[in-house]
Amino acid sequence: MPRNSDLLSSLRSRLTPLENHLIDGYVDGRVNRREFLRHGSVLGLSLPLLGRLSLAAGLGAVPTMARAGVQPGATIRVGCATPVSMDPVRLGSPGGVLLVMQVGEFLCINEPDRVLSPCLATSWKPNQDGTVWTFVLRKGVKFHSGGEMKADDVVATFDRLADPNSASPALSAFRGILQKGATRKLDDYTIEFHLDSPIGNFPYLVSSDNYNTVILPASYAGDFETTWDGTGPFKIEKFDRRRGASFVPFEDYWGPKTLPARTEFVFYDDIQPQILALQGGQIDVINTASALDSVALMNDPAIDILAIKSSGHMSIHMRCDIEPFNDPRIRRAVALCIDREKLVKGLMKGQAIIGNDSPFAPIYPSTDPTVPQRMRDVAQAKELMKAAGMEKGFQAKITLPKQSELPAYAQLVQAWVKEIGIDLQLQVLDWKSYAGDAKYGSSPWLDVPMGMMTWGNRGVPNVYLASSLMSTGTWNSAHFKNEQFDTLTKGYIAALDLEAQRATAGKIQRLMLEETPGVYAYFWSYLSPVKKGVVGVKPNAMGQLFLQGAGKA
Amino acid sequence: MVFLGSQVLPGSVALSILGPEADPRSVELLNHQLGVDRPLLVQWFGWIWHFLHGDMGLSYVHQAPVSPMVMQALGYSLKLAAVALLLVVPLGIVGGVVAALKVNRPLDRIISLGGLSATVLPEFVSGIILILVLGIWLHWLPISAAWPNGADPLTQIYYLVLPSLPLVLVLFGYISRMARAGMIEAVESDYTRTAVLKGLTWGQVVWRHVLRNALLPTVTVVVTQAGYLMGGLVVIETLFRYPGIGSLIFTAATQKDFPILESGVFVVGTIFTMTTFLADLSYSVLNPRIRMGTGQ
Repeated sequence: MPRNSDLLSSLRSRLTPLENHLIDGYVDGRVNRREFLRHGSVLGLSLPLLGRLSLAAGLGAVPTMARAGVQPGATIRVGCATPVSMDPVRLGSPGGVLLVMQVGEFLCINEPDRVLSPCLATSWKPNQDGTVWTFVLRKGVKFHSGGEMKADDVVATFDRLADPNSASPALSAFRGILQKGATRKLDDYTIEFHLDSPIGNFPYLVSSDNYNTVILPASYAGDFETTWDGTGPFKIEKFDRRRGASFVPFEDYWGPKTLPARTEFVFYDDIQPQILALQGGQIDVINTASALDSVALMNDPAIDILAIKSSGHMSIHMRCDIEPFNDPRIRRAVALCIDREKLVKGLMKGQAIIGNDSPFAPIYPSTDPTVPQRMRDVAQAKELMKAAGMEKGFQAKITLPKQSELPAYAQLVQAWVKEIGIDLQLQVLDWKSYAGDAKYGSSPWLDVPMGMMTWGNRGVPNVYLASSLMSTGTWNSAHFKNEQFDTLTKGYIAALDLEAQRATAGKIQRLMLEETPGVYAYFWSYLSPVKKGVVGVKPNAMGQLFLQGAGKA
Repeated sequence: MVFLGSQVLPGSVALSILGPEADPRSVELLNHQLGVDRPLLVQWFGWIWHFLHGDMGLSYVHQAPVSPMVMQALGYSLKLAAVALLLVVPLGIVGGVVAALKVNRPLDRIISLGGLSATVLPEFVSGIILILVLGIWLHWLPISAAWPNGADPLTQIYYLVLPSLPLVLVLFGYISRMARAGMIEAVESDYTRTAVLKGLTWGQVVWRHVLRNALLPTVTVVVTQAGYLMGGLVVIETLFRYPGIGSLIFTAATQKDFPILESGVFVVGTIFTMTTFLADLSYSVLNPRIRMGTGQ
């Protein structure tokens, strides 16, 4: 495809230096198309504009989401976990997240292909250093209660979440970044976020990625379970806290016509009954199932499994401040024993991608692909053990929660490290016992010498880096304290430019391979089993299901 | 005791609501806002004071009145218990009577051995097998106990048949064994011999004299099992997605939602006490000797 230099120059003339640098990287081949789309969306470039830029650069069109072949008017039945609380401000359970986003919407959406798409905001832009982000709101958006969504509602939503007294899980993402009062209205359809420090990927924090940021009316009084007032494509029909909920299309929805006549969400306390219900034809979709849970469905010709690559992972952490794991050679030796390919092919049935002992998943555009991949090397591991004076091995205990594939994973690790003389005992606890109070000193998770943890998907690795690895991290279970890492992480989080992010990410990745506070062996895919013939179901890696385009083929 | 027992369970209410990725400061703040960081005695007396005034309180997790939740769950449990008893009582009694009348013959052995084997089979195993066979392969019965909104009573019973079957398997052996033992004892008694000797047919003897005496212990067993059917069906309720009181209490315990936990346990305990009382009452109604003994 030939390059149209005139058109390209014309399009570029309206863009900022930051945006033009991204295009330079794309044209020169340093940034591939997926990364171009993804980071372009973070900077607020719309998908049509990115498509025109790509065509003008002679690099082809961008994919579009099609709705062809979907019959409207269907009832889509979804199996999901029983929600705990429905208040969007305090939302934390997977079932609650799924239900609230049926009626509520976000400023932007982290799509299944990890591109940020506009939703209640039509565009956004950072200032030069990324400390102020301006969002333009969509006009003509109605709440289910009748009022129009305007800047006051958005400001109130974020002030509510950033209020330290809100006790919102969103504070994990906003603390030290967005204060109450720092979201300002410029006019009815424009707002600004004034951040405490520069954040290069800030739009992710106000997207569906941060599920508490559903835009609520300014008058919201904590009564969501009664009002169900949002701007989304569905409105509530019926809700029974223990049995399920049903939704019907919202007639005044601003977006494309909602195709299903009705959606039903059936609550389950366990995954096994959901699998039986899907096989028995009583539900059409399971919101999420792990690879182990899905084994029975993988060979079922009546079931399709939608797989979304994610940054979700199971980490193994080793305390860097106490023996024997205070020696980085021992930690590296443990990591070198892990057979990542076997984990992906065997344990995860191919529904995962190999990790390289840092939270930089291959799906992130900022991940530096030139960093060498750590592979299993028992001979090198034995040398490291010898160098550390541990050639005779030692006894240790790994503590883990009884969650998903973790116990099976731990058994494999136990067998692998035995080859270098480590006699690893397993201690499996239920999740609540393991998490304890989730505070240092009263949580096995944060206190044990060696443990495991499940981390859900994030659009950007900021939370993994800042909360679980920085010296000041809330969940730094490895007790990893490294000034260089802290400085690099701050630089990474602040960087606006993709190539600058990648350069810093590469340094972090190499440092983590050297220090190895933990093992990040694989990043799982997010699986949603769907009955064959049901089409247009769009899950993302946050456990959210977009059903407005769903129907029967 | 329930309250103190729940305190040793790990986790906190706020962690249940906010999820594992909430900031510890948010967890602490919410626990404070909900009042679950108050001294234990203050929490307990607060609840008991309201309870004595007919108020079961507000759920910590849902911030909604507990009373409707418990009563709704109780209603569901009563329906499942009723259907299960309707199926298992006639089956168990007939099985026990037949086994007793054919004592030590192959039919007796089949009923006794089959009943005992079914009793020891865990509900989640028999439940999954029944779902696979009757629900998924044969498509005879719906695999979820949750009937559609507005379903009539017959439809509701239809939806409750499959969840009742694992309970039938558990209780059949127990009830049939009691009926069998009672029957054998009654058949061998003097009054049965007298009834035969005075010329009654065997059918008349069994119906008029044997059954009435033989089933006394069985009635007691059936009534006391109602307590188990009301509060002890967590596995069945989870497997068949049934919102009964057993899973309500279990969830409340795991979430440390004390008002629901206390109220649920109190209601189930009350029902258990009442059914035990009913068992005693029915025993005295059926057995004149007990009544006379009481009169003395």
